Amino acid sequence: METCTNSLSSNSPSASPCKNMTSNRRSQTSWKISRRFSRLLCRPSMTILSNALILLWTFVGILSPSFTRAQDTTWINLGLDTRVQQFDAFRNPELFILGTQPLCSELLGLSPGQQKLCQLYQDHMAPIGEGAKMSIDECQNQFTNRRWNCSTVDSNNVFGKVLSISSREAAFTYAITSAGVVNAISRSCREGQLSTCGCGKSPRPPDIPRDWVWGGCGDNIDYGFRFAREFVDAREMETNPQRGSFAYDRMKMNLHNNEAGRKAVYDNAGTECKCHGVSGSCSLKTCWLQLSPFNRVGTILKDKYDGATNVRVNKKGRLVNSDARFNKPTRDDLVYLQPSPDYCLPDIQTGSLGTTGRECNKTSMGTDGCTLMCCGRGYNSFTKEVVERCKCKFKWCCYVKCRKCRTLVDVHVCK
Amino acid sequence: MAGVVIENLSTKKLMGIVVLLLLIQIACFLVGGLIAPSPTSAHTHLATKCIDPAISLQKAFVPHGPNACSKVSTFAEATEKNIEADWIVFSIMMPHRPNRMDRSFQYMLGVLSLDIVYKEDNEMGDEPELTILVEMMYNNDDNAQGEWKKMYSINETRKLNCEFFHQKSPEAEGYSYDCEPIPLFELGTVHHKYYLLNIRLPVWEVDPDTQEVVRELNTNLGAVQELSVVEIHQNGGFTLVWLTLKTALFPLVILAMIWFWKRIVQLARPPVLLERTILALAITISILNLPLEWLTFFHDMPYMLLLSDIRQGACYAMLFSFWIIFVGEHMMDQQERNRLRVYWRQVGSMTLGCMCLFVFDVVERGVQLTNPFYSLWNTETGRRLAMIFVVLAGICAFLYTIFLIFMVYGVFKNISMKRAALPHMVAARRLHYEGLIYRFRFFMIFTLICAVMTAIFFIFSQINEGNWKWGEDKHNIQYSSAFFTGVYGMWNVYVLAVLMLYAPSHKNKPTLQNGDTSEGSQVEFEMSTNVSSTAPSTSAALNPSGAASQAGTSEVYQLLGKVAND
Repeated sequence: METCTNSLSSNSPSASPCKNMTSNRRSQTSWKISRRFSRLLCRPSMTILSNALILLWTFVGILSPSFTRAQDTTWINLGLDTRVQQFDAFRNPELFILGTQPLCSELLGLSPGQQKLCQLYQDHMAPIGEGAKMSIDECQNQFTNRRWNCSTVDSNNVFGKVLSISSREAAFTYAITSAGVVNAISRSCREGQLSTCGCGKSPRPPDIPRDWVWGGCGDNIDYGFRFAREFVDAREMETNPQRGSFAYDRMKMNLHNNEAGRKAVYDNAGTECKCHGVSGSCSLKTCWLQLSPFNRVGTILKDKYDGATNVRVNKKGRLVNSDARFNKPTRDDLVYLQPSPDYCLPDIQTGSLGTTGRECNKTSMGTDGCTLMCCGRGYNSFTKEVVERCKCKFKWCCYVKCRKCRTLVDVHVCK
Repeated sequence: MAGVVIENLSTKKLMGIVVLLLLIQIACFLVGGLIAPSPTSAHTHLATKCIDPAISLQKAFVPHGPNACSKVSTFAEATEKNIEADWIVFSIMMPHRPNRMDRSFQYMLGVLSLDIVYKEDNEMGDEPELTILVEMMYNNDDNAQGEWKKMYSINETRKLNCEFFHQKSPEAEGYSYDCEPIPLFELGTVHHKYYLLNIRLPVWEVDPDTQEVVRELNTNLGAVQELSVVEIHQNGGFTLVWLTLKTALFPLVILAMIWFWKRIVQLARPPVLLERTILALAITISILNLPLEWLTFFHDMPYMLLLSDIRQGACYAMLFSFWIIFVGEHMMDQQERNRLRVYWRQVGSMTLGCMCLFVFDVVERGVQLTNPFYSLWNTETGRRLAMIFVVLAGICAFLYTIFLIFMVYGVFKNISMKRAALPHMVAARRLHYEGLIYRFRFFMIFTLICAVMTAIFFIFSQINEGNWKWGEDKHNIQYSSAFFTGVYGMWNVYVLAVLMLYAPSHKNKPTLQNGDTSEGSQVEFEMSTNVSSTAPSTSAALNPSGAASQAGTSEVYQLLGKVAND
């Protein structure tokens, strides 16, 4: 988390394209959502009840101004919000015994649809928070050597205003956070933390096969994938911008990048199989998916970031390559609408934090090299003493003995 | 075996039987594909890292619930808290909440996988060996509240096969090794509701008498991050469909078998080898069909897995013997057969192969009855032994195939020879040879169709299995289940068809009403198709060529002699 050396807080009025969501549009959205949820609940009696509730809630939603304030905040905020831990059924089983519904409306950054999902699947919120945090970390890890280093800012909008530009960076953050949710949900399933992804009798989200003495249960990753789609995309699905508007294009872009992120997890999950037929032969084989380590997913998405496609939305509402000579982007590709700023100097308008104060590598010719990183402004050099553990004698998990070593390191910092 | 049903059956009736069998076959497929869920499923359990500073092997460490152990979420946290490696207990409760195990799962397999990351100062050593102390416990109380009862407490050592695909540099820190999953246990029964695994990775090996440290263990594993166990079991839904199928097929085959044997008994002569073989085939498949597994719902029968392996193996062995004997008995080369001894090479090689697999299975599954964590493949000698068994079985299978192909080739050669001679034969004799050829061809085609279908379904289900992760749009057809029920049904249908179509016919052969000459040729056919050597001596005396055939003269000569006689 300390990669952000130059964090500034930006509290300026935003020019976000998502800003212009009207209450009229929201009411349309709610109906759409109510249909989605009625599917979710899967029981006719519940459906009527939930529809009524949602109707009621819609009116409350229209009247209450709290949602418009949280406009810029996204669910990624859960990665930094410690309150999300209170949803951890593992640690707080009494919450579920009492049937209380804590906090869903208090969590910042949830869109109305996401709040509804939060209430339905409360035990999913802690993993979502974990997933968000994990993806922020991975993003920073992947971008340590870039001018834009995925730094978080102290606003409710985790990555600051940078995301309001429909740039490659926005594409990457949407993809990696969406991937993080798939990863974290699947992981929680494997830990047995979530009651709905196991093959229990509890109602499962739609499109997930039912169990027939456990036979029909989908895979954990499959579950994570589908749940992440419901949850992450809910935010985009409930805005209903006019076709041709910029907000519409941005929605399309976000949806595409969310999907690309999810697919990165899904497609890179390894298949492991075990043969256990007669005499151990392969006449009977059982396979399962193994989650790929998240840093691998991060690397893959970083590659996609480097090869991201500049797109526009055509008249049919589809994403096409802005350069007509090339094919339209595949589901795995990241797409962006606008060019990125150079991130050299702090800019309130774009949300760029600038590279002043960033460490750089004197000898490197790459993006981490001082020439590129400091945008030609030059750098200051000094020597620093670093104390670290060394010559540790490890057991497989926890070290037994370590020594302290002091080393002198040359540090170069951009002017 | 003159005059079997299939020769005398009108096309209409034959079609009727074929349609009936085909319907059974299709029903088997549909039941598997549409009703049954996939045959097995795998459930990954990520271990909770419990802390046990007392290093007591008596306590049960439960990952969650009111009696949950104290735990750490990462090893970085453990390092901070000065927790030592041998305090860590990996705790896994199966199944995931809120489920409970079902007796219909029949068996349970565990596969261990470790997530080990690269760290510059804690690299994985060469040929890392993993030593684990596993305790397996069960609980039958609702919500696993009560005491955990110990089932097994076992110390095992496994080889770890890992690869690292990155350049080993500071940048690669935190990247994972690619480790092969390690087979952990095989339980032949799922009798309890909840299972608990407590796995430790001990650091010292302590001499039990002197309490001195003998050597260090698990030293070169690298930085273990996570441990997970994949639990595999047969799906309950599949078990129910499977057992229902068995229960339905069992009386069918038994009925057909009784009918078949009644026909044989009604004959004036004692049963010939082929008939006895068919009976034996029907008996073995009936034993396989016998739905003994229903008992597992009431009793703990860990030996059921071994038993069904043996039953299945016996069925294969019988089927292979049947093919050899059937082909041999249709050789049409006037040789005296009708005794099992004649086929000692073919049947012997096959029996040896099956015995190898049998011994292998008995050792593997037999030891697993007392130690489910045991596998022949785990130790070096065991692996060698297992390899010897498997290779030997392979060689035997190869020999058998060669023999079978050779014999089938022989039959086809004789058939083409007979065919050339057919126009010169007496009507009765020709009819008989035609009958023989027809009988054999029908069998060959039928067997070939069944074998090819099995192969195709097998490959299809394997491909399907290999690609299943791409099935993002879940289809409702379970190919693997359809494969199992379909193929199982197919071989039952095969045995049913053999029982029905190759039973002796009541109808007199038309040839017998054609006068003496035909009677004479009848005898020769009886000889060539190896009716027992005590074949009607009266009719043999009627015809001199009968004696000629007994003398073992060549076929061509015999045919010529026959023509001359006529």
